[in-house]
Amino acid sequence: MSTDPLSFQQWATFARAWYLLDAKMQPPGKIAAATVIRLEGRHKPIYHALNDCGDHVVIINTRHIAFSGNKWEQKVYSSHTGYPGGFKQVTATQLHLKDPTAIVKLAVYRMLPKNLQRRTLMQRLHLFPEDVIPEDIEKNLLQEIPQPRAVPKRLDEYTPEEIAAFPKVWTPLIWIDC
Amino acid sequence: MAAPSLLRAGLRRVFSGLLGSSWAAPPARALRQVVEVTEGNTTTIEGRIIEDAEAPPPPNPSGQCPICRWNLKHKYDYVDVLLLSQFIRSDGGMLPRRVTGLCLEEHKKVAVCVQMAHRAGLLPNHRPPLPEGHIPKKPKLNRYLTRWPVRSAKPIWKRGPKWCKKPYAVGHPLLKDNVKYTQKPLCLNH
Repeated sequence: MSTDPLSFQQWATFARAWYLLDAKMQPPGKIAAATVIRLEGRHKPIYHALNDCGDHVVIINTRHIAFSGNKWEQKVYSSHTGYPGGFKQVTATQLHLKDPTAIVKLAVYRMLPKNLQRRTLMQRLHLFPEDVIPEDIEKNLLQEIPQPRAVPKRLDEYTPEEIAAFPKVWTPLIWIDC
Repeated sequence: MAAPSLLRAGLRRVFSGLLGSSWAAPPARALRQVVEVTEGNTTTIEGRIIEDAEAPPPPNPSGQCPICRWNLKHKYDYVDVLLLSQFIRSDGGMLPRRVTGLCLEEHKKVAVCVQMAHRAGLLPNHRPPLPEGHIPKKPKLNRYLTRWPVRSAKPIWKRGPKWCKKPYAVGHPLLKDNVKYTQKPLCLNH
């Protein structure tokens, strides 16, 4: 490799980066949308379908994803084994308990463009149910993708000063027995 | 009588108000303290209103319900736990409308937001007391904007073709007039 600055710039532009995404309390659809952009390489100005300029994405905490609405009970994942009587239908809850990464994996797979590149891009996706990552992947990570959904604060996560600063919207009428 | 207690002084004004005028003018609500003053032969028992100087006056005092008085008409959601927690009991249930002073539509909206906040797990300390030693065995799944109770929702086995798919219900139609801070339209059916 020469010390020519232009070749250094070429390598730096077309290098494959590793991104981290925390899926805790996030909807899997929005996670998949952010991931697919990075996997295809559409976040780069040098994007072209034939360029193979996609990056790696590591998604952690897939066990703690949050569905909006009643989708945990209502959403059904169907598949067929190919044999007669092999039509299987599983709710999102059952699938998640069986495999905590399956929901995010299916979401990303179905959002990628339906071409031959889809399988190679899926190989560049790395899913982990908790935030435990193998060391060699952890060393590769470059940047964290911001979370798509703003996680709301629970009532016990507010400090007493914030609770006291919030005004009382109505005053009670006190009833006594005398 | 000798022991100081909080008087039901406001109630007399409620009754006189009901006999004369309509329900539209609510009486003054405040905590009162009984003060007994003896001057010679006369004993004066007075219910003095405790002025809470810390409570700032609402921006719109002519409103009928607390939400209108504080100009929060379409501005709260299931996330605003600090506001919602003022309308719930310690076991998570809603307080009655005649106590809080909310108008009917706002009471329903607050009830819906409280339900969604409970299902999202934002009110962990407002749980009903469980019988002793009972360990809930359900898998804790994260959710938000849940319209229907968790145990009542059934799987949609067949969603239908693309032009008439059965939608997933998200959020609640009562909150469709809320102020939007983004340009995206509010989607209640995913």
